[in-house]
Amino acid sequence: MPRQPYLSVIVPVQKTDVGVKEVLKSICNSAMARDSYELIVVDDQSTEESASLAARYADKVVRLAGTPAGPAYARNRGVEIACGSVVAFVNADVAVNPGTLPAMLATLAKRPEIDAVSASHSETCGPQNFASRYWNLLLRYGEQPHRGRHAHFAAGCAAVRRDVLVSAGSYDEWRFVTAGVETFDLAHRLIGAGHRVVLDTNIKVTHLKRWTVRSVCQEVWRRSTLLARCLGYQQTRATIPSEVVFTLSRALTPAVAVLVTLTLAAAFLPEPPALAAGGIAFSALLLTNLPVHRFYAKAAGLGFAIVAAPMHVFVQLVAGVALCNGWILRDMFGDVVPDVTTQAYSEVGLEMWPPVRRRL
Amino acid sequence: MSGAGLDSSARSEHHVLADASVPGDASAHHLEPAFHAIGLQPLPGTSNSGPRRTPRRSLIVVLPENHSVAPERVVEHLTGEGDQDIVDVIVACAGPSSSLAALQRRVRDIQVLLAPAGTSVGDLRELAMRQSPGDIVTLLSGIQPSSSDR
Repeated sequence: MPRQPYLSVIVPVQKTDVGVKEVLKSICNSAMARDSYELIVVDDQSTEESASLAARYADKVVRLAGTPAGPAYARNRGVEIACGSVVAFVNADVAVNPGTLPAMLATLAKRPEIDAVSASHSETCGPQNFASRYWNLLLRYGEQPHRGRHAHFAAGCAAVRRDVLVSAGSYDEWRFVTAGVETFDLAHRLIGAGHRVVLDTNIKVTHLKRWTVRSVCQEVWRRSTLLARCLGYQQTRATIPSEVVFTLSRALTPAVAVLVTLTLAAAFLPEPPALAAGGIAFSALLLTNLPVHRFYAKAAGLGFAIVAAPMHVFVQLVAGVALCNGWILRDMFGDVVPDVTTQAYSEVGLEMWPPVRRRL
Repeated sequence: MSGAGLDSSARSEHHVLADASVPGDASAHHLEPAFHAIGLQPLPGTSNSGPRRTPRRSLIVVLPENHSVAPERVVEHLTGEGDQDIVDVIVACAGPSSSLAALQRRVRDIQVLLAPAGTSVGDLRELAMRQSPGDIVTLLSGIQPSSSDR
């Protein structure tokens, strides 16, 4: 049996994160010897309370004072002090199972052709409200068909060989200040450099964040906009098909085509009642989303699937509008760049702590 | 141009920089490297421990009751941190520790935090972290000698 490499687990934490204690505890409860891994907490927007909580569990704590620097920046600071030949990133709202980290490590130890492995969403999530369950299952649905194939380097929980990560330039902290698409960008660069990134649906993690309908829509809006603006829809879809934006937009395209056809057909017919027209439009969307609804019904019951149907249509529309917004922003303003002060400091090559954002 | 004129122009440059927003922190403390970069001394009150070119490092050694740490292990960690003279070493003990004297002989300038006997590991770690000034803090736990070692 190949010898297990030393593992560095990096957890970027912000003071707004809930359940950090549970997450750190879950990592410490992993089914592996405590001296076979190190736990690094990067305390973004550090306060005395957050640093104290991190100190209870971590081997190393990086304190970043001031305004939040974002997960890409925080993870990079963790990588800089990591000692492991394999680095695992766990989000501050993701609880790992005792077998999650050992399984990822074993995959990388046994299969040298794989350079990065991502964990999958478990069927259940921490909070049991409707929006959290809907979002968790939607992400899981997107992951299912892409098991073992190229998939995005999951933000929630993923492990990568350190030398591969460093040679790829690590996370792009220059462009991505908020959470969302920084992991797609990294996966894109890893895959582009010929490295193999796989999603293992047998390795599962539990997401603890409590979602609301509003926060789901905000997340979809942000991810879709950034994806269209910074990464490009087609090329990202080719390499990272498991992303939720593609799950949403894939069914939207035929639905829009059906709606346009129906609208054109209606022009040649006597005026149909408004209710019937609305019903036909909604049915078209339901029909194109049938696989998703079937998945919801199987995972959470028919009642849940019926309630989720209109929500899903609404979220799809948000994704569609956000993608258009991203394309428009890209055409008008180009890619995302940091503020002018950061650009100037970077240009001068100023050495300071915390460091100025690094350009790839 | 008079000296006073130079002063006022220098001060106005300070204000321009102080008004600029800095990534990570908007306070003027983080601007000291920028002042040096353009050959200016920082404004009074902005040159304290705030701004740094490199992160401040701390090493916390946690020694719960009946636990000890080999001085070599601490020295090894300090060597790994780079220049051991610029690493703050804090030892948090729950009650008197037998390994403390040996550690003090090997490592200079140790800050010792003595908590009541029976204080838990988590509380010791938290206590030490609150005292630690480091931007990058490494925590090292002592080990309980096995009964055969005693």
